[in-house]
Amino acid sequence: MSNHDEDTSNFPALGRALLWVNKPGSATKIFWGLAAACTVVFAAGFLVDMHGHFDVENFGGFYALYGFFMFTGLILAAKGLRVLIKRPEDYYGDKAIDREEYPADQLERLDHDE
Amino acid sequence: MMSEVFPTAFLFFAGALALLALPQGRLRAGLLLAIPIAAAWQVWSLPEGGLWQVTFFGLELELMRVDRLARVFALIFTLAAFLGNLYAWHVRDAVQQVAALLYAGAAIGAVFAGDLITLFFYWEGTAIASVFLIWARRTEGAYHTGMRYLIVQIGSGVILIAGAALYYRETGSLAFETMTLGSPGTWLIFLSFGIKSAFPLLHNWLQDSYPAATVTGTVILSAFTTKLAIYALARGFAGTEILIYIGVVMTLFPIFFAEIENDLRRVLAYSLNNQLGFMVVGIGIGTEMALNGTAAHAFAHILYKALLFMSVGAVLFRTGTSKASELGGLYRTMPKTAMFCLVGAASISAFPLFSGFVTKALVLDEAASAHYTWVWAALVFASAGVLSHSGIKIPFFTFFAHDSGLRPKEAPTHMLLAMGITAALCILIGVYPAPLYAILPYPVDFHPYSGGHVVGQLQLLLFALLAFAVLMRTGIHPPEIRAVNLDTDWSYRKAGPWVLARISGLVSAIWGAVGGLFAGQIRAAIAGFYRSHGPEGRIAHIWPTGSMVLWLAILLGVTLVVVYAA
Repeated sequence: MSNHDEDTSNFPALGRALLWVNKPGSATKIFWGLAAACTVVFAAGFLVDMHGHFDVENFGGFYALYGFFMFTGLILAAKGLRVLIKRPEDYYGDKAIDREEYPADQLERLDHDE
Repeated sequence: MMSEVFPTAFLFFAGALALLALPQGRLRAGLLLAIPIAAAWQVWSLPEGGLWQVTFFGLELELMRVDRLARVFALIFTLAAFLGNLYAWHVRDAVQQVAALLYAGAAIGAVFAGDLITLFFYWEGTAIASVFLIWARRTEGAYHTGMRYLIVQIGSGVILIAGAALYYRETGSLAFETMTLGSPGTWLIFLSFGIKSAFPLLHNWLQDSYPAATVTGTVILSAFTTKLAIYALARGFAGTEILIYIGVVMTLFPIFFAEIENDLRRVLAYSLNNQLGFMVVGIGIGTEMALNGTAAHAFAHILYKALLFMSVGAVLFRTGTSKASELGGLYRTMPKTAMFCLVGAASISAFPLFSGFVTKALVLDEAASAHYTWVWAALVFASAGVLSHSGIKIPFFTFFAHDSGLRPKEAPTHMLLAMGITAALCILIGVYPAPLYAILPYPVDFHPYSGGHVVGQLQLLLFALLAFAVLMRTGIHPPEIRAVNLDTDWSYRKAGPWVLARISGLVSAIWGAVGGLFAGQIRAAIAGFYRSHGPEGRIAHIWPTGSMVLWLAILLGVTLVVVYAA
């Protein structure tokens, strides 16, 4: 599990650079950065000509609202669907791939630190 | 026989034979790369027209019908074969190597098939060759999944040949050209194509089988079968209106399943199904630009879908699992794979400057300009849905999110190379779509980078991302958990066997009850016969041995008379 004292010196350089995303507060910064980007494109919608085929497209914020609410609806609907169709992993018995390990001789599982 | 060229498919078949003569190792892996390159060069330089006819049981077969629609599909198939084989450079399993070549060859052969009989042979060829990519996993689960896959795929071919026979009786022609849906023959052919292109309710073979294949097998599988079916629909049923609505349903239902699926390779299979929906809508609209959109989207889709399967495959290769619930935080030690995965995710989500943006727009724009309001609204929603599973879920829950504690090694060099080339192509198509537009079946006059289009798409995607961020921070977003979800395969994996077991139980119960009812009488009758006719019976005492000889003589005499009279 995550370990603050972990020795990261053997991570690839790119991986070490990306460690920033896990620093405390970074997630909040990313969130507000995204919110700022959203504000910009929302405003831009009213400045450019949308050339819409439908009247609704020509309202500058249409895609923003559609994206936000339809996405939320999708996630909520999927959560509801899960209640109906979720089954334990061994539901289809032993002769199903969901239960078995991937054959180890076809893998190269090497720990980076080794 | 008339031949101007060597059929491209035969190049792959010859390669598969030559492969076995080479020792396992770099030479073989090299040949696996050389054949798709040679094939791509050949496909590129082929003249248009019918280039190879052969007479087969009195039927004129056309093995190499080359036109712009066939060429663009054949080209992307050779490219996919090359990238898949590069990704599989480390594989030393002759079964998978031969299967990959035969599979790609059969798919390309089918694309160039000018008649339904040739199409049928290659259609079944893809089924038989590809199942070995699943069986090569060599586990009990993979064996059973492969069997289910094979039954569905072969079934599709059987329906195709039945349809072709009826079509021949109706029209007197076997040429594979645009058909009008209506007669039993055309409906059967349509159904056959529909199975392979994973129409709603016929789709579940895809999500069942692709996660069961080997690490590299899934990458190769993802390119051919379904896109061959898309090609066949575009060739045979362009402008068939029902396809618009079938396509819309295809774009919609998989996004809900993908959202809650735990196995990331199955998430990608659902996502593949959703992308096929966009292509099917394009075929249903059937205008030149819509068909361009279908072909372009198939081209771009094969690349970014392969890229996503490659990145998840690399994770599976290094960690032994592709389940979202077990992964997370892998960017630390697999950052390059993570970056390539993000390129694939951005491409499939159709971010500006990535390939999906310039190809999906062709289909969406045609739907909008023909004023299919609800179709258009559904496709825009489905575009946001693509972002949810392929754009966010795949990279986020694999490489970011909570730290799984796994510190796997970065993917091997050849895998990184395959992913790098594929990612570069995804970006190239997005930034500079003109070369792709130039090889589409019809002339293209379309400019994806209009201000309205870019801003609209960015609004859709960024606000969907914002919704995701809000849902994550509020804890509403469903967590990744170890589970399977029911889909239509439940009908033949659970319900079917259950019903059969009940029927067999009922029949044996009835049999037992009826037998029990009359058992007394039957036993008494046998005992009675035994008493009179058995060795100790009264009748046995007066049985002269000669009576049997007498009866035999009578029987022979009668036979003689009968034969003589006849």
